[in-house]
Amino acid sequence: MTKIPPITVKRLPDPCDQASRRFFLRDVKRFVDSSHRPRLIVDLSAVEQISPESVDLLLECVGHAERGDGEVSVAGASPQTGVILELTQAASVLNMFPSVLEASNGRPFQDFESWKQSYARQRAA
Amino acid sequence: MAEWAKEGVEQILLIVLGSYAEIDLPDLVRFHSEGRRQVTNVFDEQGPLGISLLDRGCILANREQATPDEDLPSSRYEFLGYVVRLSSTANYRRLVEDAFEGRCRIQPTGFQTRPGVWIDETAYVDASAQIQTPCYIGPATKIRAGVAIRGCSSVERNCEIDLGTTLDHASVQPNTYIAPGLYVRESVVDGTRLEHLARGIAVDLGTAGLSARIGTQSRRVHRSPQLARVSELPAPDAKAG
Repeated sequence: MTKIPPITVKRLPDPCDQASRRFFLRDVKRFVDSSHRPRLIVDLSAVEQISPESVDLLLECVGHAERGDGEVSVAGASPQTGVILELTQAASVLNMFPSVLEASNGRPFQDFESWKQSYARQRAA
Repeated sequence: MAEWAKEGVEQILLIVLGSYAEIDLPDLVRFHSEGRRQVTNVFDEQGPLGISLLDRGCILANREQATPDEDLPSSRYEFLGYVVRLSSTANYRRLVEDAFEGRCRIQPTGFQTRPGVWIDETAYVDASAQIQTPCYIGPATKIRAGVAIRGCSSVERNCEIDLGTTLDHASVQPNTYIAPGLYVRESVVDGTRLEHLARGIAVDLGTAGLSARIGTQSRRVHRSPQLARVSELPAPDAKAG
């Protein structure tokens, strides 16, 4: 039986908030480390124009995901964000989709908060 | 114009900037003279081009007005030659590409280092830059190491394209800095504003620090000793792409 790669959806933290950025990356790393071929979908639908700090963060996510043979998709990017991702060449290492639904390709999401709790339980066990 | 008319100027050619048209001016003057009207307006198939030839008489008769009376009897000069209305960035890019491809009579200034590559002698192009024909690099512009320029791209005067950036079917307007490592495709960049022609959207790159407006004072007069002359660059054939 083929194991379905886990999918999780996250939103980017405030680019100016270093603490949130650290938490975000720590969560992503845990998710990747505990999954087989993980797939992270970053929902950019609330971002008007992505900042360079957020592009860097996305690239760090890609780095983590690739170590786990996974991938990072972005969904719902605004046209401005699309231009910035192309310009910075981040688009070449990201899968881009118009919406989270299309990014998931019909596969069930793994709710990140639930996953974190189950992860904590697994570790405790 | 009224002052010129009073001083005795017989005919005034009025060009409202907004289009590039390769008009045969002697033919226009001849047509105007034969038409025996005081005004001749130039049209192409899309409408007026904002180019008029006016007689002294009509200017003196209308000197209170900023522009000649539109109701004056006028001749219509139908122009069938090369025209680009510069009403959009896309049209500007079309004009640039047409100039490179020889579809119009515009000739880029500067030294042609090899066929189709015009580089001003005061421009600096790093030896590692990859320049594909055709392209234009204007005065006092700096092309840093690892930059790639291709696809009928043009970089106007006093610009700086930083390390490793690629320009592909792009135009960079004067006094523009572009940050390192970017991929600029099918766009026109003017200072901090990038207009992406393929996506039909304009983006402000200034807040992201990806581009900037640089000093408008020309560096042409003060050649930096660090700036290599084009003639001192290695043989361009090695970089032909």
